[in-house]
Parts: sequence; structure tokens; C-alpha cells
Amino acid sequence: MAGAKHSQAMFFQARAGEKIRNKVLQKALQKAKPLFVGKRAKAMAALPEDGFEFEALRSACVDIRNRVLGDLDVWLELFEEKAKATGAEVLWARDGDEICDLVIDVARRHGVTKATKSKSMLSEEAHLNEALAAAGIRPVETDLGEYIIQLAGETPSHIIAPAVHKTIEEVEALFAEEHGRPLETRTSADIPAMTREAREVLRQHFLSADMGITGANFLIAETGSAALVTNEGNGRMVTTLPRVHVVVTGIEKIVPTLDDFATLMRLLPRSATGQTISNYVSLLTGTKQPGDSDGPEKTVFILVDNGRANLLGSAYQEMLRCIRCGACMNHCPVYFSLGGHAYGWVYPGPMGSVLTPLYTGIENALDLPHASTGCNQCGTVCPVRIPLPGLMHRLREEQVERGLRPLGESFALKAWAWLAGKPRLYRWVVRRASRYLNWLADDSGRIRILGMAPGWTAGRDLSVPAGKTFHEQYAARKRA
Amino acid sequence: MRLALYVTCLVDLIRPSVGMASLRLLEAAGCEVIVPESQTCCGQPAWSAGNRPLAAELAKKAISELEGYDYVVIPSGSCTDQVRNIYPQLLADDPVWAPRAQQLAARTFELTTFLADVLRVELPLADFAGSVTYHDSCKGLRGLGIKRQPRELLLKVRGLTLDEMADCEECCGFGGAFSVKFGDISTQIVDRKCESIAKVGADAVVGGDLGCLINIEGRLRRRGDETTRVLHIAEVLAGEES
Ligand code: SF4
Repeated sequence: MAGAKHSQAMFFQARAGEKIRNKVLQKALQKAKPLFVGKRAKAMAALPEDGFEFEALRSACVDIRNRVLGDLDVWLELFEEKAKATGAEVLWARDGDEICDLVIDVARRHGVTKATKSKSMLSEEAHLNEALAAAGIRPVETDLGEYIIQLAGETPSHIIAPAVHKTIEEVEALFAEEHGRPLETRTSADIPAMTREAREVLRQHFLSADMGITGANFLIAETGSAALVTNEGNGRMVTTLPRVHVVVTGIEKIVPTLDDFATLMRLLPRSATGQTISNYVSLLTGTKQPGDSDGPEKTVFILVDNGRANLLGSAYQEMLRCIRCGACMNHCPVYFSLGGHAYGWVYPGPMGSVLTPLYTGIENALDLPHASTGCNQCGTVCPVRIPLPGLMHRLREEQVERGLRPLGESFALKAWAWLAGKPRLYRWVVRRASRYLNWLADDSGRIRILGMAPGWTAGRDLSVPAGKTFHEQYAARKRA
Repeated sequence: MRLALYVTCLVDLIRPSVGMASLRLLEAAGCEVIVPESQTCCGQPAWSAGNRPLAAELAKKAISELEGYDYVVIPSGSCTDQVRNIYPQLLADDPVWAPRAQQLAARTFELTTFLADVLRVELPLADFAGSVTYHDSCKGLRGLGIKRQPRELLLKVRGLTLDEMADCEECCGFGGAFSVKFGDISTQIVDRKCESIAKVGADAVVGGDLGCLINIEGRLRRRGDETTRVLHIAEVLAGEES
């Protein structure tokens, strides 16, 4: 699969250690988490006042997504037919390389030298920016977060807040350098001024680009439209100013009707940013018609598989319900200890821990399904009730079935299970272990280094009891 | 009423007082309590590592030794979750074991849920001089809906005040093998818990899962907090020793 060769997911452990030691990153993350969590909680608490019941809405959203996945081919065909009827072109891509080829081909056909982009995770899956640049087409990210990380030469670390890992000071320094302005001219943390500055730079690009590239939050089969949900006006600039508009999106993003879209929209912004509705919701249908004041002359939809079709009918199908709200990562204690880059591929957090192994190969992301405490905060907040810990668990099982776990781990488990099957021996071993721990402990009854679990005692003291095991005490009590 | 007390491996080895306290509590409530002698491990480590055959083997063993009682009580949300939610799922395709797993699941309760929702008798509780803050363990909270029960019981303890900490439902970073495999990430997570605990300034942190408590206590001590006590709820309700 195309993504696999770029995936860094095998280095999760090493990256995690590095991220934890990065104090600047930790500061940025600690600031962001309560905002995300608090805003969502408030929005959800207000749902009943707005006349909706959260669990009922959730069920409705699950039903819509399941209905689509049950007959994906039918809905895709309908979408294709409707989109073509509005004058759009519909293309299909199997993997990331095909996405790049198709976009470059469209660009060449229309003499494009610069493309403005609104956020699209699929273009990250395909490494589209690199491919465009190599083909002599300049890609310009216009979502503020994406713009920042493009300047920094990084990848997004969050699906809705791509630059969440950066502090304001870092962005300020980056802008000063990239926009050719001496650093001292503005006090740091003047966010409106920084935004204005970025906007001025981007305006030139909006006006001079021949092609706009976006993702789509949803594709609506009934009308052949793409729906874009954003909080910045850039989405409109990218889709209406250039001559050509290319939408790159996954085949699972389809919803049957406008009504279904409206239902999903009740939960998407609330789950993502705690908003009742995002600042901009665009429904893009077809091309510029006679009498229209704006819009592209050419609209191209690229519908991408890149591993998705494989999940249909599999034990992981539920993952395809994902509407990319980011709530799972916003509530994940592991994500907010590391940021997104530690996960090594496009999708971070709990959804990434499921998607990355599935899209880039289970053997290429062995740690990710284990990088979870199983706390199930993610499953509790997911608006489409994806059982994320359950899917990670299924991946762990598949690793075991395919013999992909380290030998030491399999052996230890087998030995433990064997021992647990022999109660008398088990009792004896626990008694010995109890004495051993006791012997390891210092005067205050604490163990500071435990050879069996060095990672655990690196950060903690283990307090052990001076007395006997429970079963010894219980036996003595029975005899008495 | 005859009930089986299932003592988790961590309690057996690391904090036997939790088992003894549970025993005293249940007996004081008038139950005939039996600790099945052959009990060992509920199989959760194997399950969570993804080793289904080993987990199923241990599930069958536990079912055989625990069925035949009116109730099974476990002083741990996470092991209870294993019996109640995972066993039936694990053995769902086995025509012989599936019904047995379901029957056991229906009769198995976590300690505070059993005391507050099933038994519902007035217990002779120990006194406790001081303030406590309650940590909601993930498996108990989200897997079994344990939230009100421990608080209800704690509030009946004479002398005890309950001060809720911020983010009491936030994971402590234990996660069984997670905290061993990813020690540094786990430390980062438990640090936030320790900060919440420090902020509320209670005399003791109380919880219903020994795993979380060992993790929290271990980090508090390593951070130099020598005074905040870390107690299992059974120890608070029954008094630490009689
Ligand atoms: S898995 Fe659920 S919570 Fe996470 S991004 Fe997808 S829809 Fe949102």
C-alpha cells in the first residue's frame, strides 16, 4: 500500500520518549486539552436545551453511516451519476500514488502552476504536496494551521487542529522569519495581528492560483455535492476563485441525502470544537453556470480507496463510520501526552491507532494498538459510537494470530496462564514472590527499581506489604 | 446467602489487606463468604494482550470455580468487567460455555455495587478521620457504570468528608501492561492525576481498583508526597485492621 513506505509508525516508542521530553511541546499540549474537552462538554450539555437528545442523535448518526456502508457501491454510483449531471468529472484512485498522478494530470491539462489548498487529510495520505512540487506545481496550504506547518516543513499533528503542537511563540518566530519581518516589531501572542499577517500573504495566493484542492467532510449522493465544514473563510476562496476545483476524498465519506447531512452536522462541530455549527458550511455542487458570479469552470472529484474497501465486511468495518471530528484524540490521555507526530502517520490518537495499522499494514505499526490504557474515553465521546478500544483489541488479537508479537511476550503469557492453571503451584509461587518483593524493599517498604518492570519503576515506587499473601492470611484465619 | 469472594492477583500479592477488608465487610453484612481455594487469575492480562485462546482457557477455569454461588463479589472494577463483559463475549461461540459465562456474568458484582445496589443493608462501617478524594477507575466507570455507589458508601462513613478533585474521571495511566510497556507515557499521565490530587489537598485518595491505586501511590511517593494516603475503598469502609 502506498502509505506504508512513508509510515513512521514503527518508531512509536522512540518518538514517544522524545515527545515526552520536549518541554515546549508539553506546554502547548497542556494548554490545548482542557479547551477541547471543556468546549465539547458544554456543547453536549446544551443539546437538550436545543431540543436534541445526545444518545438519540448518536443513534441516528450511526444509522446513517451504517446505511451507507451497507451499500457503499450503490451510493457511490448514485453520487457519480448526480455529480456528472452537474457538470463535474468523477475519477477514482486506488492509492496515494494514483491520487498524485490524477491531480497532476488535471493540473497539466489546465495549465496550472499554483494550487491553493484547503485542509485535506487524504492529500497527506498521498504526500500530494511533495508530488505537486516535484511536478513544478506550487501547493499553498491556506488553512491557518496547515499554513503554519507548511512553513515549518512539518505534517499535521491533529486532524482538526494541525498545528496544535506549536506554541504561539514558535509560530511568531516562524512568521517573523518567513514573512521577512524583524522579530521585535510585534509583541508575541498578538494573535489577531498574526492572523492578519498570514491573511495578507495568503490573499496574493488566492488571487493567483489556477487550481483549488480540498477534501470534503461529506459527499452527498442525492445532489452530487461536496460539503465543506470549516472555521476559516479560506475554504470558500479555494473553491470559488480558481478556475479548477479538485476534491480529493475517501470513498466512505458519502452520505445519502441532505437530510442525513443535516443530522450529522448536529454532532460534527459539537464533537470537534464544541460549536453548534462551524463558521462556514459550504455545499459545493457542479461548476459555474451562465449567470453565476463565481465558482470553478471545472470541478473534479477524486474518490479514493487507499485501503478503505478492504475494511468493508471485515471485523473493522465500524471504523469507516468515522466522520473525522477529532473528539477521540481530544479526550485521549495518551494523545495529549505525545501530540500527533509520535503516531508516525497521517491519523493520530485512538482513531489513528486503528487506521494506521489497517491502512499501512498491521506489521508496520505494531505498537499503536497497544498504545492505549483502555480507558475508553474515546469510545465514550465518539459521535458515531466507534468502539475504538474494541477495534484496537481486535488488532492485538490479529498480531497474536499472525505471530507478530515478540517471543518474550508470548512466552511470558503462556507461562503465566500455565501457572494460573495449577492453583497449588500458583499459590506457592505467589508466596515466594511476596517474600522476594519484601526482600527487595527498603526500610519504608518501597521498591525503587524492579528488574521485571524497569519502565514502571523508572517513574514510581512500588509499596509492598510486610505481611503474608491474602490466601495465606485467609487460610490461617480459617484454621483459627 | 452464599457468595464467593474473588480476590484479584494484585490484592493477593501486593495489598492483602484489601481482601481481608472485603471479607470483613461482606461478613458484617450477614453474607456467608467463601473464598474458592483454586482461584488464581481472571485472565485479563492474556485477554488484553490479544491472546484469545489463553484468555478463554482461564475464563473457563474461573467459571467452573465460581458458578454455584448466589453471587460472586470482586473488589475490583476491572476484573469484574472481565467476568461480566468479556467472558460472555470471549465464549460466545461455544454452545456449552456461552450460557455458563452469561449466568456467571449476571451474578458477578464489583464490591461497592454489590453493597450499595444488591445488598442494600446498613453496614457497620469503620470511622475515618479526614478528607478523601475519589478516583474513578476507567473500567469500573465506563464498563460497569460505577460512580454513585462508592460515593454513597463513603458518605456514610463517620468523620469522613469527600472532596472531589478536578478530572476525577480521567485515566491514571495504569492500564495494566500499558504502564509497563510505555512507562514514560504512563508517568506523564499519572503526573496529571497527582497534580489534581495535590490541588484538592485531601488526606487520602480512594479508589476501587488496586492497579490504579498502586500506580498513583507509586508516583505520589516518587514525587516526594509522603503524606497523602492511598486507600482501597474496602479498607476505608471496613477500617484497615480489626
Ligand atoms: S473515531 Fe469517532 S471520535 Fe474519533 S475522529 Fe472518528 S468520529 Fe470522531
